[in-house]
This record gives sequence, structure tokens and C-alpha cells, in this order.
Amino acid sequence: MAIREGKLMSKDQINSGLKSFGKRFKFNRSSVLVISALILILLVAFTVRILPMRWEIPSGQIHLNEYDPYYQYSITEYMVDNGLFSPYTNNWVNYQQWYPNGLNMRMSLPALPMTAAALYQVVSFLGINVDLMTFCALLAVALGTLSCLVLYFIGKDMGGRAVGLFAALFLALAPSFLQRSSLGFFDTEIPGILGLLVFVLMFLRSMDPKRSLRGGLIYSIGAALALAYFIAGWGAAYYILDLTALFVFVLVLLKRYDRRLLINYGVTMGLGLLIATRVPYIGLSYLTSAPVLPVVAVFIVLLAAEFMRHNVFSVKNKMYLVMVSIVAILGSLVPLMYFGYLGDIAGKFVSVILPGARENAPLIASVAEHRIPAWGNLYVELGIAVIFFIIGLYFTLKNPTNRNLFLLLFGVTGLYFGASMARLLVILAPAFALIAGIGIIGMLKPFMSLLKETPTATVKAKRKLLRVNKEYSIIGILLILVMLMTQFAFNPTQTSMVQTGQVQVGGAPRSYANGYMPTAISAAGLPLVPPEPMPQWLNMLKYTSNNLHSTDVVVAWWDYGYWLSVMGDVTTLADNATVDAAQIENLGFVYMSTEDDALAMLSTYDQKRVQYILVFTSLFVYPHNESPTGFYVAQYGLGDEGKWVWMARISGGAHDRLTNEGFMHPGNTWSDEMAFGKSSDYGWEWSAQGINSLIYKLLSATEHAFANKTNGLVTATSMDVDLQYFEPVYISGDDTSFGSYGDLIPVVGLYKINWAAYNAAHPKP
Amino acid sequence: MFPTVPDQHKNGKPLVPNGLGVLYVLFAIVCLFLIYFFEIESFASVSGISAPLTLAVCILFGGFMGLLDDWMDLKWRYKAFMPLIAALPLVYFAIGMNVRTSIVLPFIGSVDFGIWYFYLIIPLIVMIVTNTVNMLGGFNGLESICPAIVLLGLMSISALTSSYYLLMVGPIIFWLILAALNLKGKIFVGNSGSFAIGMTIASFAIIADVKLSLLISIIPYIFNSSLILLTVFFTHKKALIAFKNNKLESNHKRSLVTTITYHRPLTERKIVAIVSIIVTIFTLLAIAYSFLSILV
Repeated sequence: MAIREGKLMSKDQINSGLKSFGKRFKFNRSSVLVISALILILLVAFTVRILPMRWEIPSGQIHLNEYDPYYQYSITEYMVDNGLFSPYTNNWVNYQQWYPNGLNMRMSLPALPMTAAALYQVVSFLGINVDLMTFCALLAVALGTLSCLVLYFIGKDMGGRAVGLFAALFLALAPSFLQRSSLGFFDTEIPGILGLLVFVLMFLRSMDPKRSLRGGLIYSIGAALALAYFIAGWGAAYYILDLTALFVFVLVLLKRYDRRLLINYGVTMGLGLLIATRVPYIGLSYLTSAPVLPVVAVFIVLLAAEFMRHNVFSVKNKMYLVMVSIVAILGSLVPLMYFGYLGDIAGKFVSVILPGARENAPLIASVAEHRIPAWGNLYVELGIAVIFFIIGLYFTLKNPTNRNLFLLLFGVTGLYFGASMARLLVILAPAFALIAGIGIIGMLKPFMSLLKETPTATVKAKRKLLRVNKEYSIIGILLILVMLMTQFAFNPTQTSMVQTGQVQVGGAPRSYANGYMPTAISAAGLPLVPPEPMPQWLNMLKYTSNNLHSTDVVVAWWDYGYWLSVMGDVTTLADNATVDAAQIENLGFVYMSTEDDALAMLSTYDQKRVQYILVFTSLFVYPHNESPTGFYVAQYGLGDEGKWVWMARISGGAHDRLTNEGFMHPGNTWSDEMAFGKSSDYGWEWSAQGINSLIYKLLSATEHAFANKTNGLVTATSMDVDLQYFEPVYISGDDTSFGSYGDLIPVVGLYKINWAAYNAAHPKP
Repeated sequence: MFPTVPDQHKNGKPLVPNGLGVLYVLFAIVCLFLIYFFEIESFASVSGISAPLTLAVCILFGGFMGLLDDWMDLKWRYKAFMPLIAALPLVYFAIGMNVRTSIVLPFIGSVDFGIWYFYLIIPLIVMIVTNTVNMLGGFNGLESICPAIVLLGLMSISALTSSYYLLMVGPIIFWLILAALNLKGKIFVGNSGSFAIGMTIASFAIIADVKLSLLISIIPYIFNSSLILLTVFFTHKKALIAFKNNKLESNHKRSLVTTITYHRPLTERKIVAIVSIIVTIFTLLAIAYSFLSILV
């Protein structure tokens, strides 16, 4: 008995202890549920983003994804070595890029590398020994996850904790955002989206009428700091500046002006822009750039509204005031424009507004992330949740509070920008997540409230329904949940990537497919899902880094510029920075012209420095009974054999300049790819000029190097050619056994230019 | 457990559970998910788009829309255009699977719509089929048996060229059970049922690429809807039917049913039988036409 009593006592003690514990921290069941759901969502967000790591571990280092992150990495590395402000205080020009002029590294946004460098130093100070590239790769994952958390708070402010949870979940698995915040995607979107979301959270909170003026001011200052961070982090900051201006302007139009709006807007924008202009590279000229002018204009409108409110003017005078201000605005714009004080809007931003403008600019159009997504792709991106998005839009329209109005503008403009440029889908992602969350909760609410009601008859009997039972609303909720399930688990569409191995058709939504995609460099630049990391590109970069001098110039198409200069430690002519269009045109000319003309062009650079040329091809091996070994090999189209079209178009666009400068001449002239052949039912048929082009010869030589090395495969697409002035130095991937990676083999060829032979054939007059 | 509504065309107007179409939606989705999971039939494609899941999503859309309608009596302007959202998965499916963009019309020949097929024709088909199927109903068995006939016809036509009909075997059996109960006056399928089955027909026709057969089979539906819409548009009058002595009669021709019962009192069962026969005739026509076009 005594023992039993003792047990009871302890049970009571535990219970009361738990109760007091609960009281102290004000936990109730729902907040425990919400917190655990949030932790789970963040865990999912983090895990999905870090999954590509499996391809990085075998190679011993975590690499960055794609190309641009390597540029950001190079700045970060410089900052870690020389101090946070060093790229700007040292006037750093990186002469390993854009030979011979070098790349002015002051022309880069500081937020991302500075964040990374500062955090890296903190981590190093704490004694955690981690390689900088690994750290940068993981930072993208961490900041992406953090963005989901911030979105939870925005959603919570908008429509309660449930909306916040759904919004966080949608953002965590939004394909566009996931892709740009997964392992190794160390690029400007990362600080951009985080800054954007923190700004939205702070700015909307500062406007909250329930908050004291002091609290509102603190949030405005927070919003200003986030805004400055965003401007310093991502070129798309123009978007949020104009969105906020538009939002405030709409508020004024709806007669919702109050003095607090003026104060908050003034503080946020003034302080934010003030800090931002202190950032090197952005500078004071940012204020006069066309997209920032609406911010100023709206501020003037707010001041006018403040004056109007006090009724200091009669109606007649108000009319005069309006007319005078319109004349003043127009009158000041014209001379500003005339004298060129309005900063040029970069071509990218124009092309967002007018997608048609891009057709004339092959340099911009050739980048996949600038492409115009088709409407069908919007469905792939957003999934079945579009129905919730539309319902959510309806709910926000019906209840146009200030927050909802902002959300509405955010969603609609985001949809427009997402529809006009694939890269900007990432801006739509948070707006979509919030609105879809509101839609789902709005739909679930009537069903849920019915579930909680006593099962008496409802009055809704206009036409059919006389009595609605609880069970019926369970079915409604069930259907909504099944729809969510198809969004996150049984999505009918999947990325059209080249898969290896058996993969179920459809099913996995794009977000999960992303988790099963290696970083670009570990897949050797191909959209493949190999069983283990593909070493071809990594080996090539290791080779150049070990055997070439960092001053040696390797001619390569601009896509691989960052890899070669950062990982390969050589000097390149062009990369994704695309600062010198003429140099890229020249580069296209080199690849597309005959060997002699190509070297004539390269001779304009220093022959002692320009020593190598690189070509990348993807080869496809397939069984064929006419081949002695039973296999044919052909170029597949994912390497330079697909990109040469852009080389032809971009250099062809400079037809007049190249002709005037004497490089293009009869027999070696073109304005687009049609001079090099024609497309037929069997694929591309090269013309005589095409077969004489350097790119054709390099591709064929690389293909043959592979075919000859692996048991004499027969090549299908190209003839054997003799290179006059080029000798292979290292063909990375020519020893790949052709059964691997689903018969698709990446091969990178490095060729040395034989200047002696060229100079002997072309004696200087 | 389901909300009940009075059966207007019975003596005493007994209460009948409504909205059981939701069960069809759930059953069809589970069926299609299972087909997808166990790869009972592989509908493999290069583009990686799954036919069973696309169909499931569309049916889900349809059912959900109907549920909203049952729930809060959607206005017609919403009902008419909501299926456009549901057309999105089909548009994407059609683009990804590279289906024919032409429709072979009798006497006219092949009409190629190009990209307009994706962005205009598919949404139009979905919108028209879903709404017309929803409009012909209101009698025990009418809104469940006639779509079943059309769907069975489409399945047998698609069986000639592909294995897509396998997708619908489970769902149609379940629907027929519901139809039998509906015919006996035990249940109503409700808007959730009629929207779901309409969406099933439209999406199945697009996935299995039997558009022309669909167009032929639903001619009675289109006739009915045009009649209703035209009279509403020109005379602002709705079709009404009088119920007397277990028989139904009308004094105008403002819809298919009122045309049949024009000054001719018929029992509810007979009306359903006559409409079903008309639909069967057109479905058989569609079957005969596709048989012939395959033979020729």
C-alpha cells in the first residue's frame, strides 16, 4: 500500500509540476501544435534543399551550383582574405576575368558576399573549421529556410497562424524558390528574398493602427534596414520600391491617408534609400534612376494629401494646385530625360515590361533564366494550388484591408512579372504562398465552423440544401486535403529532365525532383541525374588549375567563364557578367569563323597570353547494326554543339562592325546560324561554311577523341577533320565508359593554339 | 449523413440524400492513384506527365467545384468559367504529350488548330462539356445514366487505339452503382456528381484523344443547353415542368425535357428512358463513325 501511495503522490507531483511549467510558458495545445508544425515545415524546407549533397560528398567538397554563384564566391573569398570592404576600398579589378581589361569588382552588390564573409568569420572564430565554398553552399540553404520562417510571420499577421503555416509550407516547396535556394545556389536571390520578406513584414507591421506610434516607428526603421539590405543584395529591388510606392498611392486614392502613413513611408523609404546610397556601386545615382522616381513622386503625393487634409485651400485653389503639380512633374521630367539624368534602366528591366523587346537582344535572350515562360509553365510552377490562389485573390478582394491590398498588388504584379520572365517567378513565390494560404483557410473556415456547431438544421435553404450535416463538411475538408496532397505528393507533372534509371512517370512534384538534382558542376554541366558525381568538368578544372598558369588565357564560351576563372584558376575572356558585349561578339566570331580568321581575331589579344581554347560537348552513344562495334556515337546537343547557334547569332548581330574591322569578309560572313547549314528531318545539316567553322572542327575532334579512345566507336554526326593550328592538350571524359549515365557522355576538350604554325603561315607584312 | 432535399417529382416529396457524387470523386481518385502507384498500366511519356494523375486532378477539380455549388449556390457566371482552371492540367498534358492539335470533322476534313488547340479549344471543350452535362438533370437517373452512356461510348472508342480506357473501368463501375440508386430514387448525385462526371468525360476525351466522338455523343446535351440559353436570352423565361398525377407535362419547348413532354404527359421514368435512348443513339453514332474511320 505504501508503495502505491508513493506512486500516486509522485504522479500528482508530476502533474502539478507540468501544469505550473505550462503556466509559466503559456503553452496551450494549439500553440504547441503550431510550433511543432512550423518546425516540421522548416525541417522539410531545409532537408529538401540539402538533398543534392549526396553528389558532393564523394568528391570531397561541396560545390556551388550553376555559374553565377562562383562569381559571388570569388568576392566572398576576397573579403575573407582582405577585409569586408576590401573589394571597394582596394578598387579591386579581377584581371583573371574579361582579359585584357579585367572585371571591375566594385560593380557588384555587396549584401550576399558580405553576409557570407562576416558569418564565415564568426563561424571560424567559434573554431568550426569549414571550407569557405562548403560554407557558402550551405548558407543558401540556411537563408532559404529562414525566409520560410519570415513568411510564416507575415502570413500570421495577415490571416492568423494557420495562414502563416500554409504560406510557409507553400514557399518551402515552391519550385522556383526551392531551385534558387537549394544547396550551392549562392546567388543574389538569397539575400534578395530574405530582405524582401523582412521588409514586407516590418513595413506592414509599422502600418498597423493597433501599434503605438513609437512601435510603428521602430518597425519602420527595421523595414528601412531590410530595404537597404535588399537593395544592396539584388537588382530586383526596384520591384519592391515601386510596389510599395504603388501600394501607398492606392491607399491615398482610396482615401485611407493618415499622417502615420506619411511618417512611416517617409522614414522607411528615406532611411532605406539613404543607407542604400552609401553602399558602393549603388551610389547616389540610384536615386535618379527611373524606377526610383515613383518613390519620390508618391512622397510628394503624401505631402500634398497632408496639406489637403487641413483644408487650407479652397476647392478652386486645390484644382490649381493639382494642375500646377502635374505641369511641374512633367516639366521637370522632360529636361531630366533630355539631359540624360534619368539613369538608363538596364535592358533586363525593360524587357520585363515589354517581353517583345527581348527578341532583338540575343545576348539577353540566350540566357535560359531570362526566357519568357509559357502559360502552361505557370501551371507546372504553381501546381494545382492555382485554384486556391484564385480563391485567395477573391477573399482578399472581398476584404480589402490595408494588408490585403498590399498582398493583392504583390500577387498580381508578381504574377505579371513571373509570366514575363522565368527568373522572376521567384518573386511570385512568396505572394503566391500567402494568397494560396488565405484561399485554403478561407475555404476551410465554413466547413470547420460547421463541424464545431451543434448539428441543428442550418438556414441555408435558398434552393436545395435544407439540412447540412457535420459529416458533409468532413468530406469538404477531405477534398481540400486531397487537393493539397496532389499538390505536394501526386503532382501529375514532373521536370522534363533526362532521367537515368527507372523513375515513375509523373508523381513527384518539381520541388522534390529538385532535391534529386546534383549541382551543375557535379553533373558535368548536363541536366542529368547520375548515380555518382560526374568528374569530367571537375577533372578539367583540376587540370587547368594544376598545369596552367593563372595568367594563361583559355578561350571558352562565356557560360563556363566563372568555372574556369574561379575553380580552374586561369584567365578567361568572358563570363556571365556580360560586361562587354563586343568581346562576346568577338568570342562568337572566333568559334564560328575558319581557323585562320579565328586566330586573326585572337591575335588582337596578346599571343603570349592567349594559349588555349576549350570546347564542351555532350555525346550520345546508341546501338547501331552498321557499326563494327555495334554502337554509334553522336553529339547530343546539350554542350557547345547546341550553344553554337547563339555564338552565330550574337556574332552575326555585330555583322557590320566585324565587317568594318576586316574580320568578316566574303566567304566568312554571316548574320545568323542559317549561313552554317539548314535544319532537315535528320537534324542539322552543316553547309560547307559550317564544316569549315572552328566550332565544328573542335566538336568533331573532341567527338573523335572519345570515339577512338573507347574501342573504336563510329561517329554519326561529324566527319573526321584535321585541325591546322590546334593540338589537343587534355580531353576530359574521353575515357568514360559509354554505358554510364544513360549513354550520355560529357566531354570537355582543351586545345593548345599553335601560334608558331599560324605565324609561319601568316607572315606579318 | 448527407444533406437531404425533397424529390420534387414524387408524391409526398420524400427527402432524398443529395450530393453523393462526392463519393464518386473520392473513389475515382483513389482508383487512379492506385493505378499510378502499382503501374497497372504504364502510360509512360517522354515528358514525364502522368495520365492517371492528370485525370485524377481534373476529377478532383470538378468535384470540388460541384461541392462549392452544392454548398453555397454559385452564381452562373462563376460556374460557367470555373472549369477553365481545371483545364490547366489538361492543357499542360496535351502540350507535354504532344497530342494532335487537329480535329477530323465529318464532311469537312481535318482542321488543324495549331497552338490554339491548347489555349482555346481544350478550355472550351472542358467548359462546354462540364456545363452542358450539369444542365441536363433534375430527374431521377437522368443526371447519372446519360453521362454514363457517353463515358462508356468514349471508353469503347478509345479501346480501339489505346489502353486509356483502363483508367476509367473502376470509376465507371462505381458511378453505375450510384446511377442505379439514383434511378430508384434513393439518392441524388448533386452538383458535385454532375460536375465531376462532366469533368471526367471532358478530360478523358482529351487524354484519350477522342474529341470528335465526344462532340458527336454530346450533341443532345448541346441541343438542350442551347435551347435553354437561347430562350433565357431572348425571352427571359426559364423552362418549367408541371407535375400532376405522377406525370410531367409542359406547355413550352424551352429545354430538351420540356420538348419531349410538350403537351404529352409522361412519367418521370419514361422521360429518363427517352432521353437516355436519344443519348445512346448519338453515342452509337460516334462509335460507328470511329469504327468506320478506322476500317476505311
